[in-house]
Amino acid sequence: MSQVREPAFDRIVALVLRVGAFGCFFIMLTGLLVGLFLPGRIPLAIERAGVLLMLATPVVRVLVTGVLFLREKDWKYGAISFGVLTILLLSAVFGIGEH
Amino acid sequence: MLSALLVLLGFFAGLLGAMTGIGGGIILSPILALHFGIPIRQAIGTSLVAVITTSAASSSVHLQRHTTDIRLGMTLELATAFGAAVTAYLVGYFNRNLLEGLFAGFLLYSSVTILLRGGKVKSEDQEELPAQNNGETVIPPYEPKRYPLGLGASLVAGGLSGLLGIGGGPIKVPVMYIFMGIPLMVATATSNFMIGVTAAASAIVYYRRGDILVEIAAPLAVGVFLGSLLGARLAPRIQTKYVVYLLVAIMLYLAGHLFVHLLAGGAA
Repeated sequence: MSQVREPAFDRIVALVLRVGAFGCFFIMLTGLLVGLFLPGRIPLAIERAGVLLMLATPVVRVLVTGVLFLREKDWKYGAISFGVLTILLLSAVFGIGEH
Repeated sequence: MLSALLVLLGFFAGLLGAMTGIGGGIILSPILALHFGIPIRQAIGTSLVAVITTSAASSSVHLQRHTTDIRLGMTLELATAFGAAVTAYLVGYFNRNLLEGLFAGFLLYSSVTILLRGGKVKSEDQEELPAQNNGETVIPPYEPKRYPLGLGASLVAGGLSGLLGIGGGPIKVPVMYIFMGIPLMVATATSNFMIGVTAAASAIVYYRRGDILVEIAAPLAVGVFLGSLLGARLAPRIQTKYVVYLLVAIMLYLAGHLFVHLLAGGAA
């Protein structure tokens, strides 16, 4: 099974990662540049948006991959993808408030 | 201009990481801790953002070359993400000295391993030149073997990632290549592909705990992004061996500095 590679499949997953990486880069850069002229909360909010988009990118990548597997009726790997997604979502639930 | 300094630091780490394949994340956290006065736990959380950025950018390139085994990667991610989330959670209960000691030990271990191999981090890469067919990379057929072993190694790699904020490639790649029968090129691409999700599983825990400093993470990630783009272009053209030695020298210095910091009563 592992050798079977659907070119469009790889391209879509690559696109998700590229949009995430470049998007974050430009958002964070904007935050830094705004910070040069306008100190305070606004640049920090922009930078925070960049960080959050970066944290979300792998989650979206797993979700998209899972949906692509299901569309190919590849139930086994669809289930594995949603298993990984569950772990990622649980890590958000259990990360609260410890020191 | 703290931000400018952080962009430079990220650029430097990204450049070295992409040129050597070692991953600049390993030097970012100790530098942030020792030279920017950031508590080690927040230094680790903050550099995780840069690790995700690098993985996303570089694995999108591997995916377009169709060298990533998405099915294998996704399966092993069950273990890496779980291990990373668990240790990231546990780190919340670690004190600073324990974490600094673990980090120093890991830096020392990695340096010695690289030196014992004569600095040839990517030696196998050169042996296994991929066959080309009309500019398309041809991968020999293979079937992944020994999944339990691969999952076990991934659990350890993920655990280290959540603990120290590193990618864990040096564990996953050899296990996939030697024990699971995956061609090296595919193992490298797939390991890179997994790093983003692994780092995200722990980074989300760090973020919710307040251990990601946004004002540090943003300039760092911007620098790492630019540095790794340049490094990936330079890598084929220069003697990476000397860059590896430079990185090892920095790692040994950081390990020593961390030990001194600990002995001097690192709580300061």
